[in-house]
Amino acid sequence: MKNNVSRRNVLGRITAAVAGLLAAPAAKAAKTVTQKVLVTADAPKDYDPTKHKWVMAIDANRCIGCGFCAEACKKENHVPEGPYFRTWVERYIITKPKLGSGAARGETLVDSPDGGIHGYPEAPVPKEDIQHSFFVPKLCNLCKHSPCTQVCPVGATFDAPDGAVLIDPKYCIGCGFCIQACPYGCRFLSPVTKTAEKCTLCYHRITRGLKPACVEVCPTQARIFGDLKHPMPDDPIQQFYQNNLVVALKPHLGTEPRLFYAGIDKEVR
Amino acid sequence: MRRLFTMPPQVLRICLLAVGIVAAYTIARYFLTPPSFGEYGWYRGAALAELATRDRVYAGKKACEECHGDEYQKLTKHEHKSLACESCHGPGEAHAGDPRKDNIDRSSYAACIRCHEANPSRPKWHKQIVSKNHYTGSKCTECHVPHSPLEVP
Repeated sequence: MKNNVSRRNVLGRITAAVAGLLAAPAAKAAKTVTQKVLVTADAPKDYDPTKHKWVMAIDANRCIGCGFCAEACKKENHVPEGPYFRTWVERYIITKPKLGSGAARGETLVDSPDGGIHGYPEAPVPKEDIQHSFFVPKLCNLCKHSPCTQVCPVGATFDAPDGAVLIDPKYCIGCGFCIQACPYGCRFLSPVTKTAEKCTLCYHRITRGLKPACVEVCPTQARIFGDLKHPMPDDPIQQFYQNNLVVALKPHLGTEPRLFYAGIDKEVR
Repeated sequence: MRRLFTMPPQVLRICLLAVGIVAAYTIARYFLTPPSFGEYGWYRGAALAELATRDRVYAGKKACEECHGDEYQKLTKHEHKSLACESCHGPGEAHAGDPRKDNIDRSSYAACIRCHEANPSRPKWHKQIVSKNHYTGSKCTECHVPHSPLEVP
């Protein structure tokens, strides 16, 4: 420790100092190169997700079960063939109670042949046995506290600031935790990309000022779409809240869906 | 100069290893974190823009109106005013980009019956027919004009 001012020592210190000075710019350059490999997209600048709050609402009183929405969703989003849906339509049939059984209602039958993408066939029970029947379109419930986001181990699923719950396909590892976590069954593992997929509210459409495909083609305006931060004059969303008593699905789970329904029965889950 | 405290070599090695691990983690994180990570939250902000850059398949009513303004105006004044063009005619982005007769659905009996075939699950206000009892063998368009359905020519 006494003879520490040697030539070797001084030279070593000078080299270290020069390396230290060069390290920061060299690291920055290396970082840009690495990230160019990691990220390929350049963002369009005209859409600011913090300035919107998209929301959807379903008026089941108006749904006629044509299934155009489910069909349009498949085509618009190139959803794989087979039992994979980002949105679908369910048919609920509540039968009359058996005579003398003392029950108010009979059985509840739910079906959704091909998600309704080809329309609905005849009811599986004769018309005389039906007490009540209706259609319910289903899609992502736009939860405020979304379980799917909470369980994602890699940060691929997230609540976007504009209200959509989205999946980053480059980060998704296809573990399927989110599919188990979603209480509404709104996610699936794509056999094509091997990643989780779900309703994006047609993110490529809404960011360009269009409605989601399902809302666009709905012939009866059973599906209502709007922006809570920029309500239009005679805003259909505001009118929906004014004119209906609304409910959310599975409120006991605390997910606080932002997708509200009007005109559905307690049997709908 | 006498050292006040001599670190046992096995402890020193563990400390160096810990420092090495932290340094490796810090360097890897610096290089591998995408630039937009954390822009809005605990995820890659650029994913939003990437999801928004997809191409659409359905063009939307406005695109149809540009060329078919007369039919569009007729539709908005009659019973079928709540329908979009693409409800019956199918996706139209390809047709809007390259207007030809063969890249748009000209629509058919199936489109009418898909909504108007009687079904007990449909709401009562919706007009429905039982197709096998309703002028069997005739086309819907022989009596009805789809863009103004209550007009009977």
